[in-house]
Amino acid sequence: MLELFTPHRETWLYRVNPALKFVVFFAFMLIVLFNQNFHFALNQLILYGVLVYSFSGYSWRKLLLFSVPIVISFVSSAATMMLFGKGVTIWWSWGLIKISEESFNYGLLLGFKTLSFGFISLVFLLTSRPILLFYALMQQFRLPSKYAYSFIASIRLMPVIVEELQTRSDALKIRGVHFPKGLKGIFQRLRMYTVPLFAQSIRRAQRVAVAMEAKRFQMGAKRTYYYPTTYERVDAVFVIVMVVSFASALVLSVR
Amino acid sequence: MKRLKFSDLLITIMIGVVFGITMKFWDDLYTVVKPMLPIARQLLYGMWFMVGPFAFLLIRKPGVALLASIAAASLSAFIGGGFTVLIYGFVQGLAAELLFASFRYKKFGIVVAGLAGVASCFAGFFLDLFYGYANLESWALFVKYGLRVVSAFLFTGVFAYLIVRALEATGVTNLIRPVSKEEYSLLDN
Amino acid sequence: MNNHQQNSIMQVSNLRLKFPGESSLIFKDLSFTVSQGEKVLLLGPSGCGKSTLLQVLSGIIPHSIEVPLKCDSIQLPESWGFVFQDPDTQFCMPYVDEELAFVLENLNVPRDKMGPLIGKALSSVGLPLPEQHILIQTLSQGMKQRLALASVLLLKPDVLFLDEPSSLLDPEGTIQIWDSVKEVAAEKTVIIVEHKIDHIADWVNRVVLFNDVGEIIADGLPEEIFDQYKQEIAEYGIWYPQVWEDYLVSTNFKEINTLRRQENLSRLKPQKTIIKLQDFRGYRGKIEKINIPQAEIDGGSWITIIGDNGAGKSTLLLSLMHLLRTTGQYELNGNLINLQNRKKSPPNELSLVFQNPELQFVTNSVFDEIAFSLRLIGLSELEIRTRVMSLLELFHLNVNEQRHPFQLSMGQKRRLSVATAFAHGTTMLLLDEPTFGQDARNTFAILEKLEQLRSGGTTIMMVTHDRRIVENFATEVWTIDQGKLVKMCASQNVSEQKREEKHCAGIIHTT
Ligand SMILES: Nc1ncnc2c1ncn2[C@@H]1O[C@H](COP(=O)(O)OP(=O)(O)OP(=O)(O)O)[C@@H](O)[C@H]1O
Ligand SMILES: Nc1ncnc2c1ncn2[C@@H]1O[C@H](COP(=O)(O)OP(=O)(O)OP(=O)(O)O)[C@@H](O)[C@H]1O
Ligand SMILES: [Mg+2]
Ligand SMILES: [Mg+2]
Repeated sequence: MLELFTPHRETWLYRVNPALKFVVFFAFMLIVLFNQNFHFALNQLILYGVLVYSFSGYSWRKLLLFSVPIVISFVSSAATMMLFGKGVTIWWSWGLIKISEESFNYGLLLGFKTLSFGFISLVFLLTSRPILLFYALMQQFRLPSKYAYSFIASIRLMPVIVEELQTRSDALKIRGVHFPKGLKGIFQRLRMYTVPLFAQSIRRAQRVAVAMEAKRFQMGAKRTYYYPTTYERVDAVFVIVMVVSFASALVLSVR
Repeated sequence: MKRLKFSDLLITIMIGVVFGITMKFWDDLYTVVKPMLPIARQLLYGMWFMVGPFAFLLIRKPGVALLASIAAASLSAFIGGGFTVLIYGFVQGLAAELLFASFRYKKFGIVVAGLAGVASCFAGFFLDLFYGYANLESWALFVKYGLRVVSAFLFTGVFAYLIVRALEATGVTNLIRPVSKEEYSLLDN
Repeated sequence: MNNHQQNSIMQVSNLRLKFPGESSLIFKDLSFTVSQGEKVLLLGPSGCGKSTLLQVLSGIIPHSIEVPLKCDSIQLPESWGFVFQDPDTQFCMPYVDEELAFVLENLNVPRDKMGPLIGKALSSVGLPLPEQHILIQTLSQGMKQRLALASVLLLKPDVLFLDEPSSLLDPEGTIQIWDSVKEVAAEKTVIIVEHKIDHIADWVNRVVLFNDVGEIIADGLPEEIFDQYKQEIAEYGIWYPQVWEDYLVSTNFKEINTLRRQENLSRLKPQKTIIKLQDFRGYRGKIEKINIPQAEIDGGSWITIIGDNGAGKSTLLLSLMHLLRTTGQYELNGNLINLQNRKKSPPNELSLVFQNPELQFVTNSVFDEIAFSLRLIGLSELEIRTRVMSLLELFHLNVNEQRHPFQLSMGQKRRLSVATAFAHGTTMLLLDEPTFGQDARNTFAILEKLEQLRSGGTTIMMVTHDRRIVENFATEVWTIDQGKLVKMCASQNVSEQKREEKHCAGIIHTT
C-alpha cells in the first residue's frame, strides 16, 4: 500500500508550498466548474493532463492505474448526458434515448470537466503531505489552529478506527456473535459495527480534545511551529508557470 | 445558544472525516452503478446529504452541520473524490445549516432533519446547473431530481435520525450536548 | 484553617456533581483543599469518583466536558499537567516527535529549541528512542504511557495530576516513572490517583481516603492514615502497603493453599496436555513479533506471562486465538491446526479478555453484556438473571444495571469485561492484564474466582506485571523477552516452598 504511494522521484512540485498549491489549484477548479466554453475546457484538460503525467514524479504504470477511476467517471458522466441531454439537432433516437448534436457536445464538456477535476486532485494528492498542508495553511493563510489540529487529530485517529474495526470483528468472533443470513443479518451486522464504532469514535475524539487542552492547546492562541513553512523561489516559479500556461489555454481557445 | 467548545469541534470534524471516507467508497460504488441503473443511483444519492444533519442531531449546536459537511467533503476530496466535492460539501452544508437556523436550532425531529436534506438537495441542484449535469430533457430532469429529493429525505430524515437515536442509547450524547437546566436543578436534591 | 487557605494552590468547597442522565450524585458537598507543594495521594475503591475529582480540580470539568456541578467556591491551579488513565487517547499527532513538539508549540517555544527539549524529555522517562520520528501507533501500551508523561513534563507545570500513570507499565517502567516524577516534582504540587502504591506511599506527605460513595473519610499523614484507618481501608478494599502480607494469612487464601496442596498430592498421573506448540511464530503485518520455540500447556494449570512492555505478551495471546497471522505447529487437544488456512476462526475451547475492554462490549447495558453469552447457550431468562446478578455482585459492579458499559469507570469496565469471560465458560481462558487499575478487594476477588475456575479444570493463561500474583497464584511462569519465549518454569506457588521460588526468583524479581 505504502509502496504504491511512493514516487520514483520528487519533482519541483513537491517543494512548492502546499497551501499555495492548494489555493491555486482550487481557483483553477472553480474556473473549470463555471466555464461553459468547450475549447477552453479541452485546453485546460490538456494542461492538467500534462501536469499529472510529467511532473508528479510517478511512473506511467502507476499513473495509469490511478487514472482508471477518473476515466470511468468521465465515461459515465459523459454518456448519461449524451443519452438523456436536451437538444434539437437529433442524430439518433430510440425510445426515451436520443442523441443530439447539443447533447453530445454537452456530454463531452461535462466529461472534460470531470477529467480535469480528477487530474487536478490527483496532482495535488500525489505531491503533498497532509500534515505539511495544514501547517502551511496555518502559517501562510491564517487558518485558525483549532481547525487544523482537529483535522490532524482526526486523520491520526483513522488508522485507529481501522484497527478498531479489526479488533471489533475479532471480539465479535470471540464473544460468539453470529449473524443470521439475508437482509436481517446485514442490518444487524451494520448496527453491531456502526453504533459501537461511532460511540467509540465520539468518546475518543472528546478525550483527545480534553488531552489536547490539558496540554495547553488554546483556541485562538499564538503558537510557534515545529515545521516552519515559507515561500521560496520555487513558489514564484510555480505561480508563473501556472499563470502562463493557463493564459495560453485561454487565449488559444478564444481564437 | 451555546458556543462550540474545542471538543465539539474535534468531534464534529471527526464525524465528518469518518463520513468522508465512507462517502469515498460510496462514490466508487456509485460510479460503477451510474451508467447501469439510473434510477437506483438517484435513490442512493441522499447519502451525500447525511453528514451535516447527522452531526447537528448529535451535538445540537449551531455551526455543526456546516462544519461537518465541509470536513467530510475535504476528506473525500483529499482521498480522490476531486476538489469539486469541496464546493458541493460547502454549499450543501450551508443549506442544511440555514434550515436548522430557521428553526432557531430548537427542533431535532425527523421532519426537520429530512427538510435539511431536501434543502441540501436544492443547493446541490443549483451547482449542477453550472457543472452541466442539469442540461437534461425536462422529463429526465424531473425524474432525476424528484427521486433525489425523496432519497434526501429518507437518508437525512429517517436514517440519520435512527442512528442518532441508537447512539443516544449508549449515553455518549449525554456528555457532548448542552446540559439542560433541569439537570442542574437536580443537584439540589 | 486560615493558614491553610493562605497558601492553598487549589480548593473546592461544597462540590455537588452528577453525570447527565444519572439520578444519583457522585459528590455531595465535598470540600477539599491542597496547599502549595503538597504531594497528595487519593485512595478509594474503584468507581468512587477519584478520576472525576481530578478533572474537576484541573478545570477539565466543566471547561472541556460539561457535567452538571455546583460549588460554593473553587480555586483552580494556574499551570498544571495531566497524565490520563488511558494511553491511547492522549495524543493528537501521528509521530512521537510531532506529539512532543505540539506541546512546545502551545507554549510558544522557538523551533530551534525544540529538538534538544524533546530528546531530554524522552530520556527522562526512560524512552530514549534511537529515531524520534516514529509512529506512536507502533509503540506498546506502556511505551505510550511513558510518552504521555514526557509530554506533560515539557509543560513545566506547577501542579501535576496523575491518574494511574503506571497501571500499564512493567515493574521496571513503574520504578522509572515514579523516579522521574519524584525527581521533577520535588518542588511541585502533585495529586496522584493510583491503586498500586508501593513506590509512592512513603513519598507522598498526605493521603486522602474516600469511601464508595465519594465521601472523604480520612485525610492526613500517610503513616497515621495507614495505621489508624486500617479497618476502613480493608473494608473498602483499598490497597495499602501491607495488603499482600495480610491477604496471605487470611482464611480465604489459606483455604486456597490447602486445596492446592491436596490437589498436588492427589495428582499422581500426569495432566492432559491441551496445547502443544513447536516453532510457533506470530506476525504483525510482515514482521515477526513473537516466537515460541517449543511449549506445552497442561490442563488445569495457571500460567502467568511476564515481560517488559512491548515484549510481545499481548501478541502471544492474539496469536494463540488465531487473530494474527501465524506459522509453525499448533496442536490443540491432539489435533494439528492448519495455520495456513486464512479463514480460521478462534478455537471454541479458548476465550480471551482483551487488554482494552471497551472494544469487547457488544451490547448496550451492563446487564445484557454479561447475559449475552448466557443467552447464546439458551438459558431461561430467570436463570440468566440470577447468574448475572451474582456475577455483578461478585465483581462489585453495583451500578445501575441498565447503564451503558462505556459509562463506567476504568476499573469497572475492566471488571465487566472479565465478568463476561466468566459467564462464557471455556476450557482455557486467556486474560490480558485483568487486574490493572483495580482496587485490592477486586483484585483478590478476580484472583479467587480464577482459582476457583482453575481447580474446576479450566486452564488460565494471564499476562500480568504484578510479581505478587505470579508468586502466589501461578503454577507456571513464562518469560517473554523481545518477542521470544525465553524461559518457562514451575512456580509451585505455595508460599512455604520458598526454595522452589528462589529458583525462579531471578526472573521475577527484576528489581
Ligand atoms: N460518563 C458517565 N456517565 C455516567 N456515569 C459515569 C460516567 N463516567 C463515570 N461515571 C460513574 O461515576 C463514578 C465515578 O467514576 P470515576 O471514573 O471517577 O471513578 P474512579 O474512582 O476513578 O474509579 P477507578 O479506580 O475504577 O478508575 C463511577 O461509578 C462511574 O460509573
Ligand atoms: N497494531 C500493531 N501494529 C504493529 N505493531 C504492533 C502493533 N501492536 C503492537 N505492535 C508491536 O508489537 C510488539 C509487541 O507488542 P505487544 O502489544 O504484544 O507488547 P506487550 O508485551 O503486550 O506490551 P505491554 O506490556 O505494553 O502491553 C511491540 O514492538 C509493538 O511495538
Ligand atoms: Mg479512575
Ligand atoms: Mg500488552
